[in-house]
Amino acid sequence: MNFIKRAGLYCFRQRFKTLILFLVLTIISTFILTGIAIRDASVGATADVQTAIGGKLLLELDTEGHMSSGQNSWGTVQSYNGDLITNEIVDAISKVDGVVDYNSEDKASFYGAAIDFKYLPASFNLSYTSYGEASSYTATLSSEKCTEFQNGKYQLVSGRHMTPKDKNVVLISKELADYNNLSVGDKINMYCMDSDSKVKFEIVGIYDGTEGTSGNALTVDEIPANCGYVDYAMMFETFGKDYLNGYQQLTIYVEDPVSIQNVYDKVKALPELKGKTLKLSIDTDDYDVVATPLDSLQSLVNTLIIIISFVSTAILTLLLTIWIRGRKKEIGILLSTGKSKRNIIAQFFTETVMVAMVAFASSALLGKLIAGKASDFLLSRVTSGTANLNIQISAGYLLPVYMIGIVLIAVSVAVASWTVIRLKPRDILSKMS
Amino acid sequence: MCIMEVCNIKYSYDGRKPVLKKVSAKFELGKIYTILGPSGCGKTTLLSLLGALDSPTDGQILFRGEDIEKTGLAAHRKNNVAFIFQSYNLIDYMTPAENVALTSKLPPLPILERLGLTKEEARRNVLKLSGGQQQRVAIARALASDADVILADEPTGNLDEDTAAEITDILKECAHQMNKCVVIVTHSNDLAKQADVVLRLKKGELQTKVR
Ligand SMILES: Nc1ncnc2c1ncn2[C@@H]1O[C@H](COP(=O)(O)OP(=O)(O)O)[C@@H](O)[C@H]1O
Ligand SMILES: [Mg+2]
Repeated sequence: MNFIKRAGLYCFRQRFKTLILFLVLTIISTFILTGIAIRDASVGATADVQTAIGGKLLLELDTEGHMSSGQNSWGTVQSYNGDLITNEIVDAISKVDGVVDYNSEDKASFYGAAIDFKYLPASFNLSYTSYGEASSYTATLSSEKCTEFQNGKYQLVSGRHMTPKDKNVVLISKELADYNNLSVGDKINMYCMDSDSKVKFEIVGIYDGTEGTSGNALTVDEIPANCGYVDYAMMFETFGKDYLNGYQQLTIYVEDPVSIQNVYDKVKALPELKGKTLKLSIDTDDYDVVATPLDSLQSLVNTLIIIISFVSTAILTLLLTIWIRGRKKEIGILLSTGKSKRNIIAQFFTETVMVAMVAFASSALLGKLIAGKASDFLLSRVTSGTANLNIQISAGYLLPVYMIGIVLIAVSVAVASWTVIRLKPRDILSKMS
Repeated sequence: MCIMEVCNIKYSYDGRKPVLKKVSAKFELGKIYTILGPSGCGKTTLLSLLGALDSPTDGQILFRGEDIEKTGLAAHRKNNVAFIFQSYNLIDYMTPAENVALTSKLPPLPILERLGLTKEEARRNVLKLSGGQQQRVAIARALASDADVILADEPTGNLDEDTAAEITDILKECAHQMNKCVVIVTHSNDLAKQADVVLRLKKGELQTKVR
């Protein structure tokens, strides 16, 4: 009778021990399987995030060494004397392969007083223009890419976003629109104090998200609902070339984050940028916000897999040690019939592996049930709870579980057999009666 | 013919005074040997040396003229000798048939039936057999291994008189009909009377008495 048949008989006849071993191995492999599945899902999610967010390049003014001091009515002021990002540069960048969009966003760069509508009132009404108090507007090329819309604070509720082609258009809050009974397509007029001119705007979009954010505003421009978005084309016309001749910064959106370095190199090499006091950099902030928790989830899961492997090897070793010590008589009999020690250890190993084969397979079913819950729990530890993972346990995951499992079992059986097997056959026989 | 020979073996449990001082003996096929002697005189020790469960401190054991130390102790246990113990030593998660199959490729049922077990008994849990039946299974296992030498340590020690007599007959048959060399350690005079050669172990030395 060979050791495989002996192992089979043992597992079949010692059903209670087999059941306990089955449960222990199922639990261990479910943990490892779940760990691997969560880690893989988060690796996949990181890649998805990378594609979804896309890549961004940032073109900024290089202020270092390009500031000069001058005098005005307020005293000494520092001002930038380098190059600005001109429309010519923006045009050239927009034509680079791989660039899908671009935006410049300058908060509070336009102040307009309401001529034919009213701002939501603040505590003080200073009325410093002939049309009352002025509110501030964000000048932008592509309102969709502005911070508040990107982070979800504002949502467009009617109309459309403004694009670089627009001129004399405005996006206003729903609160302001409701207050004045305005809707998309209506025209409004503002007085701009800085240029001492009246400007006519068409409302192209109305957005939501400003409610309840006004607080105890002292001036109208402290109420977010009063502060809309205006286009840059209007800015250039209103202020004229002498006063405003370009953008302070430009965010460039790249289609495929994988090729971001490539696009960076192409933009950097544009003749329009040659010798200009501008800096170009790759912006990874948005990506980091999402990827960092996923990264820490991965290292948490990796650590857990290692700890679980160690702990389960220890538990398994302990269990097998107790059982094998109880089998001294059997070992003695087998030795006295001429079975080698290696043959006997092979039997113990086979017994455990046989049970493990079934246990690992059933852990795939169990893993399906608990992996989702486990990942939600772990994610809630490392993020504020916004991320979500698509956990799948496929047959492919069983392969690493089987490989890790069989190595762990081999270690456990070797350690557990050690104390008994290093005895002489005669010692075992004299101790077994 | 001489199948196994013990030449001047000495044995002591690490560092203590020797249990076996200078033991020599010859064993032949087709004969029953009994080893007699008071408790603690070293009978089991001698038997375990014959069965290569341990090695003598000094001297050598030859099987068919070859030193078993050189041909390998595990191989000697596997091919040349078979043990029968007082406490039967059957593996409890195996049936009698499976216990017999442990040492052989031969079908176990005919062997068990020849030793008086029914087919049903041969497939029962070994712990649900009587002592005599368990010892028959152990003898069947020894016979199935096809070893030339059967080493039995007080095989009737746990059995009543009638059963002991039956087992003794079986062992006698093993020697005289199946041409095995049967070495039995015993207290029982009845068993000793059946032996062809009686060996007496006293103060670490062996006296031989051929009948
Ligand atoms: N494993 C052992 N370690 C130390 N001494 C032992 C061991 N086994 C037996 N002895 C001693 O060796 C002597 C012979 O033992 P044993 O061969 O079992 O005697 P017997 O079988 O004749 O009763 C006894 O004095 C016993 O105490
Ligand atoms: Mg004894």
